[in-house]
Amino acid sequence: MRRLATGVLASAVAVAVITAAIALLKPHVPVLSLGVLYVFAVLPIAVVWGLALALPVSVASMLAFEWFYLPPVHRFSLRNSENWFALAVYLATAVVVSELAARARRRAAAAEQRQRESSLLAELATELLRGRRLDDELPAIAGRAAQVLGVASAEISLGPAHRPPKDQAPYPLEIAGRTVGAIYTPADPNAAAQRRFLPALAALLAVAVDRDRLERDALEAEALRRSDLVKTALLRAVSHDLRTPLTGIRTAVGALRSPTLHLSDVDRAELLDTIEVDSERLSRLVGDLLDLSRLEAGAAAPELELWSLDDLVREAVDTLGAREHVEIVGESPLVNVDAAQIRRVLANLVENALKFSPPDTPVLVRIGATRKEAIVRVVDQGPGLPEAELERVFEPFYRRTDDRKSGAGLGLAIARGFAAANGGRVWAESRPEQGATFALALPVVEVPAELTA
Amino acid sequence: MTGQRVLVVDDEPQILRALRATLRGAGYTVDSAATAQEALTAAAAQPPDAVILDLVLPDGNGTEVCRELRTWSEAPVIVLSAVGEEREKIAALDAGADDYVTKPFSVEELLARLRAVMRRSGSAQEPVIEVGDLRIDVADRVVTVGGKRVKLSPHEFDLLRVLAQNRGKLLTHRTLLREVWGPAYQVEAHYLHVYVSHLRRKIEPDPSSPRYLLTEPGAGYRLVNSV
Repeated sequence: MRRLATGVLASAVAVAVITAAIALLKPHVPVLSLGVLYVFAVLPIAVVWGLALALPVSVASMLAFEWFYLPPVHRFSLRNSENWFALAVYLATAVVVSELAARARRRAAAAEQRQRESSLLAELATELLRGRRLDDELPAIAGRAAQVLGVASAEISLGPAHRPPKDQAPYPLEIAGRTVGAIYTPADPNAAAQRRFLPALAALLAVAVDRDRLERDALEAEALRRSDLVKTALLRAVSHDLRTPLTGIRTAVGALRSPTLHLSDVDRAELLDTIEVDSERLSRLVGDLLDLSRLEAGAAAPELELWSLDDLVREAVDTLGAREHVEIVGESPLVNVDAAQIRRVLANLVENALKFSPPDTPVLVRIGATRKEAIVRVVDQGPGLPEAELERVFEPFYRRTDDRKSGAGLGLAIARGFAAANGGRVWAESRPEQGATFALALPVVEVPAELTA
Repeated sequence: MTGQRVLVVDDEPQILRALRATLRGAGYTVDSAATAQEALTAAAAQPPDAVILDLVLPDGNGTEVCRELRTWSEAPVIVLSAVGEEREKIAALDAGADDYVTKPFSVEELLARLRAVMRRSGSAQEPVIEVGDLRIDVADRVVTVGGKRVKLSPHEFDLLRVLAQNRGKLLTHRTLLREVWGPAYQVEAHYLHVYVSHLRRKIEPDPSSPRYLLTEPGAGYRLVNSV
């Protein structure tokens, strides 16, 4: 509307300017030949506003020339043959020029449209190749496609085709003969652009969908492979840890029952000892397995009571009979925990530290407290742990690469489980060659008033 | 009883202790070791008449000990293996071990195997070997079953002879191929299965459930000591 108003105004100005120019030139040039100057009014209007305004401008020019300059002046006398000739020239100019201009404009618009389409495609290709997840990008891509196509909205959906929204036409995303989704656009105003643009966009999206799928498949396969490895390792570990004490027991029992052997009293005692030690080991293993499965099932409900943490540490060390190999220093923070479970955590941490300590080097247990947490650090002077093993040591059945000693690899997993059940956490710190530290943190408890009174 | 010396190698202290007491009870003199290094040192200090060797040791594996031992000792070796260690077991047998038992084993089985490998290692070349109804005249290359002569091809006879001269002992596929066909054929295991099958048809009363020539699945073959 605004454009039309500007056009009408410009037309009026153009005709007025040329009419004035003729007035200026009239004294020097025969007036009849000046009529051709109106072509300069028609020309720019035809170029910019097209035939719709160029035609009225032609007619207005003819009328202005007739009124102002053709005798009889200031009267319309349409019988003048010059008149009709001039009009014919103006009209021809208007038609030819506006057609040429319109064609150029159309070409420019088409080129611009193609340029928008291809730059969107190029941009999408770059983004998708860079590995952006397609799902997150779909609404944005649909929005930009709608913009490029000059339609109100577009929608891209993945998965099996569904019924298109009202007035929308689907364009399928196909790869290797499978339909992986569709682009929905309004049944079109700009059919040519859609015919050109949609196939390219669809091909690009289909490739991206397929790549996402392949990536997911690869991840799943990797996860499966890992869980298979874990299961195999687990089975191996359990079978080894069960079989070793069983072998000891079976050998000893077999020897004791054998009618052909002549056992001395000392050997008889040794065999009985083996049976005792290995039975103990078996029963511990079974207990550990049960604890672990209870923890994993979330069935280890702690019975919380107030304890001084250093007492629990000392009791834990005593259950290992390791008082002379362990040095306990630090504070006595109060904690609200299940004593049996936390003793177990501490015993497992200390036992682990003892296992990796060189002979005759004590394990240091340092008890400290921050405002929120009581922290027990169990420090050994063993070989330490590489970064990669800091978390893995807490996996059930995981054995440190330097572990040559017995044990099922359950102690740390159980420690972590019980710590968590009591609102705490367990972690490992280490600098290789400098020993390992295993830490237990528990929420600290304010000392109740009646205890300090 | 025997006074023979047996070296037991295992890194599990309880198994070691139980084996020591058991073997002493059976009349052997027992040495023990918990690592590969200790085992070789002990064997060098007091040459054993037999070795019982765990496959998995903290500082190496039984196969290496076996190979090293074989460079200077003829003492028979029984390997203690576990399910899941089949490949190591075969490697140890190929490296010169004489037999194996699988953990957990029965004491009687272990002692029987031990007696078998020790008897064999003590036995000289016999001109005639008899097992049940099976009679092998090594010198004349004549085989009879229940007094009836069986006709064997030269390779069949050699196969039976090698098994009989090592009777009671497990022989790996590789060992048999080497002994019968020579080193060039060591990888062609299917030759062996076919010959064993032919041999069974000729010497076994019921080839589908053999009494003399037993298969040790995945490891090799054994000719029984007695039926």
